[in-house]
Formats: sequence, structure tokens, C-alpha cells
Amino acid sequence: MKEFAFVNAPTLDSAVALLGELGEKAYVVAGGTNVMVDIRVGKRNGRTLVNIRDIGALKGISLQNDEMRVGALATLSQIAASELLKEKAPCLYMAANVFADPTTRNSATIAGNCAGASPAADTAPSLLALNAIAHIVSAKGERQLNMNEFFAGVNRTHLQPGELITHFTFKPSKSGFIKLGIRNSMAISIVTAAAALELAGDVVTTCRVALGSVAPTPVRAKSVEAALTGQRLTEELLAHAAERVREDISPIDDVRATGAYRREVAPVCVKRAVKLAAYGECR
Amino acid sequence: MCDKIKINLVVNGEPVTFEVQPHVSLLRALRDNYYYDVKCGCEEGDCGTCTVLLDGIATKSCITLAAACEGHEVWTDKGLGYNDALAARLQAAFVECGSIQCGFCSPGMIVAGVHYLKHGGKADRRAIKRSISGNLCRCTGYVKIVDAIYKVAQEIERGALA
Repeated sequence: MKEFAFVNAPTLDSAVALLGELGEKAYVVAGGTNVMVDIRVGKRNGRTLVNIRDIGALKGISLQNDEMRVGALATLSQIAASELLKEKAPCLYMAANVFADPTTRNSATIAGNCAGASPAADTAPSLLALNAIAHIVSAKGERQLNMNEFFAGVNRTHLQPGELITHFTFKPSKSGFIKLGIRNSMAISIVTAAAALELAGDVVTTCRVALGSVAPTPVRAKSVEAALTGQRLTEELLAHAAERVREDISPIDDVRATGAYRREVAPVCVKRAVKLAAYGECR
Repeated sequence: MCDKIKINLVVNGEPVTFEVQPHVSLLRALRDNYYYDVKCGCEEGDCGTCTVLLDGIATKSCITLAAACEGHEVWTDKGLGYNDALAARLQAAFVECGSIQCGFCSPGMIVAGVHYLKHGGKADRRAIKRSISGNLCRCTGYVKIVDAIYKVAQEIERGALA
């Protein structure tokens, strides 16, 4: 028997108060695309569903003082249609455009995608590559958590009971994202890769590369980054650097692909993500 | 058994009150209240046949929490057909184009098509395919479904439809 309770949080203050009172009993629901499936299969029985869907303070996508701000409740559709993100953070824009399908994107939120902590969460590699900060609030106050330290394991994050993500911030960056799925729509990723670069001429001055679906959490490809940084970006360098991604990942066999296949395609995804970041296309 | 809660919302233009268990989906709440034009397929967000307009946005009702719809506005395929000229035209186009085989996916396909057309969608087969890519037709009659949406999009572009 399913035994859930429901409370509505119309404002951020009420949500923080409710989450503080409920602690581990709370189960935050926004779009519902993950939560409803969990409920259906019998997970998290006995929790109190806290509805945050109508909290205006958690919505919106904006640029303030050369910093992007994406509200926790920004839907994947809003991200996928954002001209601002297309220009300032193409990797996140591209990820949103291949996320699930257009109708699911109308409900799914960026914070929900991250808080669910699927190894295959499509927005996560982009947020890692952008070095995004999650802004978190609780009854104890506010804190910031770099997305590179956000994920703790499969479906686990470093969010504490009572905490709520309010928004994400990051600097605009030349960036790119690529997803390998089994179909063009409604596909859970086999491998995803995001890259964010700064170039001086054709020399890579800084770079961050991150992948999804190749480890228990989204991961940074530090070996690739080390091989690219300070070098002239050429086809040869990129081919060599991308191969090193094998040192950064630990893919498993699952229903979508084998670990061996993921090891083979991960370097290709890295190459394409870096090219998209550098040139805006895979040439 | 947990206590039922009351939710007030507007369905197909009419204010209604549903008594629901706190965890049920909008799909279950609608079907329990005789909105049988909203079909239950996979019930996990994959097939799209339960798609409704929630505040004017195509939404899969099986992965939407009913309780969270308090104060919101829902339109189903049937309600749209009786109240919305564009939706009625798209339904007729589905019939004209032979887009309905077994008919199980049709309500979701039509609502997804209405969303596409109402948000500036053009007579562009690729874009139309993308817009219904969250809806499965297991008769695999996609070509004729795309034909119907394309036909209405052309009529809008010609100014034959408001």
C-alpha cells in the first residue's frame, strides 16, 4: 500500500520551512518526471511530497554581471529554447535539445535532473564542464556547492536533508556537448561528453571536459584536460588527447551498451565535444 | 490507506474538484473522474498517449502529480475538440489523412500536435517529427500522423485558419 502525504510550498520561505521540519521524510517534487516513476515502482513509500512547482523565485534564466543564472525550476524546454544559453553556454543548450523528448522537456527541470543523480543525467556533464555552482538553501542558511563536488554516487548527491537547490550560476564559455543514444529521442545516454574551452589564438589556455554514463557519477576527464591545456589545438593533438579519456572513466555493461563499447566511443565523443566547443561545429 | 485530499482545478474550461490520494498522477485523477479520452499507456513517461495541455503546455499526465495541479488549467483532447477551432481542425485532419489506425495514440498525438501548432510550428516535416517524438504509435502510422499536422500547418500559413 502506498502511503504518501502531500504539502504545497507556494513560496521559497515556505519550502525551506517545510523541508526543515520534515527532514529526511520530505520528497521534493517539481516536474515529477522522476518522482512519479519512483512512486509507481514503490520507491520512497511513506514520504511527504513537497510540491515546489509554483515557486516563482526558483524560475528564470538570466545574465547578471557576466554570470549566467539558471533557476532550479528552469525546464529543459526553456533551456532548449534560450537564445541566451545558446550564445553563452552552448553545451547546456545542446544537452537540453537532446534531453528525452520535447513533451517530457516541458516538465523536467534542471535541478530535478541533477538531484536525481542518474549517472546518465544529460545536463550534468555540461554543468561540470562549465564549473557551475549550485546555490543551496536550508533553514540553516545558504551555501554553494561546485557541481564538480555535487554527485556522491548512483542516485546520490551531497545535498543534505532539508536542503533545496535554488539556482545554478556559471561563467559564459565556449562549449559543446554531444550525446550518443540508441535513438534520436527518448534515449537514455550511452555516452555523453561536454567540453568548455578558452583559446588564445589556437592555443588552449583552459579547458574542462566531462562525461556522463561512463562511471557511477558524471566525471571530469582530467587526463584529457592535461593533454590539451597549453597546447595548440590541432587534429593530431586532439586525437591523442581524446584517447586518454580511457584513464578517466570506469564504464559498466548495462542494457544500453557494454563497458567495452563505451570505452571505444568515449574518445570519439570527447573529440566531437571539443570541436563543437572550439569551432561551433564538428568539422 | 492514506487520506484523500481535495484538489481544485479547471478541466476543459470547467472548474472541478477531484478527491485523490496524495501520490496519484494527473492521469489517474482524470481517468477516475471519467475523462477517458486521456489514455493510459506505459505510465512512466515514455509513450505520450496520456499527453494533455497543462496551462497551455503539452504535458505527460502520467508523470505529473495530480495534487500539484491545484489551481492549474488542464485541457484534454476531447475538450479541445469541442472548444478550440485549431484542435478541432487537427482532429478532422487526422480523419482525412487516415492518421488513426487503432486510435490509442491519437489523443496524445493530437495534443502534441496542437502544442506544436500553437507555439508557432511551421509546415516542416522534420520539425513536426521532432515535436511528436515523445509519442509512440505502435501501429507505426507515423507518416500519416505527420501528414495531418503538416496539412493544418500549411492551412495556418496560407491564412485559411486563425
